[in-house]
Amino acid sequence: MALVKMHITESAAQDEGKETLEWPVLLAALEDDNPTIRRRSARELVNCQNCAAALVDRLKRERDLSVREVIFTTLTRLGDSTAVAGLVDCLRSEDPAVRNEAIDAMKQLPENMASIMKGLLQDRDPDIRIFAVNVLESLRHPNVESWLIEVIETDAHVNVCATAVDLLSEVGTQAALNPLARLKARFADEPYVQFAADLALRRIHED
Amino acid sequence: MKTDADITKIVISGDDFQKFREYFYRKTGISFEPSKRYFVDKRLVERIEMTESGNFRTYFTMLRFQASGEELQQLTNIMTVNETYFLREEYQFQCLVDSMLPDIANRKIDNSPIRIWCIPSSSGEEPYTVAMYLLERWAGINRWDVEIISSDIDTGILKKARVGCYSARAVQHVPATWLAKYFTRTGDNFQICEELRQAVEFTRVNLSELADTRPYRNFDVIFCRNLLIYFDDVSRKAAAETFYDVLKPGGYICLGHSESMSRISSLYNVRKFPEAIVYQRPLEAR
Repeated sequence: MALVKMHITESAAQDEGKETLEWPVLLAALEDDNPTIRRRSARELVNCQNCAAALVDRLKRERDLSVREVIFTTLTRLGDSTAVAGLVDCLRSEDPAVRNEAIDAMKQLPENMASIMKGLLQDRDPDIRIFAVNVLESLRHPNVESWLIEVIETDAHVNVCATAVDLLSEVGTQAALNPLARLKARFADEPYVQFAADLALRRIHED
Repeated sequence: MKTDADITKIVISGDDFQKFREYFYRKTGISFEPSKRYFVDKRLVERIEMTESGNFRTYFTMLRFQASGEELQQLTNIMTVNETYFLREEYQFQCLVDSMLPDIANRKIDNSPIRIWCIPSSSGEEPYTVAMYLLERWAGINRWDVEIISSDIDTGILKKARVGCYSARAVQHVPATWLAKYFTRTGDNFQICEELRQAVEFTRVNLSELADTRPYRNFDVIFCRNLLIYFDDVSRKAAAETFYDVLKPGGYICLGHSESMSRISSLYNVRKFPEAIVYQRPLEAR
């Protein structure tokens, strides 16, 4: 036995059968019993412009974590309105892993999220508003600070405001000073808000 | 032209360093201890100058919110040391022969070769190190065939790898007996022997291209060290997912010492071997 040279094209030929890249076949493969086939199909569909709906539909039913993760990545890379709407739906999932994967995916889509962020930050469900602030944590968009300021100025829920003020301590500028002072007054009996707002104010003043 | 005195006018405060450190860790998994302060400050000031940001605050805002992520890429490039040589991070090769390969061999149910993939190949130091390590430190080489494939996106560097001629600096950690056995001195350089050149298959692969990676299947071990830190988050995750299907169930992946798969993807199990922490594709579906 020894080191032997492998020719990668031979390896490909020996693989389990020929793979086809036709979209209808790949879409059908999303429903295959074998998770390896579903995973590969989900990955290949990144080049299919009208396949987000099928991926979102599969995501809702997919139980294999490895397939689910690939679907999330493909939806992120597709980034069209159907994909984004599917990710937003995932925020309402009972499964925290699904929610976290959706948040991570959304962070990668600054322009797409910008158009729906205001709506998310005004959602009736405070958990959804907190998740939206979580998305802002790594969203590469110039409006992040103004969205956060709007949250601490208007949101009635202390946990939503606390999440926003945590992030403002990193990204806040002079524009956040007065809103932070008003937040402190609005939640005068909430020690965490006082602490987090003071930290944000100190950091902004240091800048 | 700006002088050193001009450049040092930009001050990175302790708070700036802390903010940057937290952010950079979140984005890359690379954590700079306070002892690296000079190293980090010097490079931050350099990029603040290059981008004409004027101060840390403006630069940091641009870094965080630039849609293309180009500046984060530039900064990551200069914050990492892109250097390769034989036996670099040797503990992983020890882990290969003392822990990973014995486990893989134990699980094998046929006599098919064990497959190892090195990506990026760079100029070949890593795959040739793997080859030497197997021949010198793994008794299982007498029982099993092993295939080593080494890939890179850069055809120029692959050409250099196939030639296999190295500087004294590249081979400085190679034991004298290995040097005598596997290299021939050619002036100031060291030429790797024909046996090893013939043992490694070099191929061009763009890890982000599905068509390039599709033929790569059924590997037992992947070395992908200090590559993913240069990718953006989505590409890094997509690469981890590609590797998942490149590996057999139970196969291992080794990343660079500053990289963590746990921060990229939840697909893998962390395996803490005595020699190194590596990542394993689970044996069973999840």
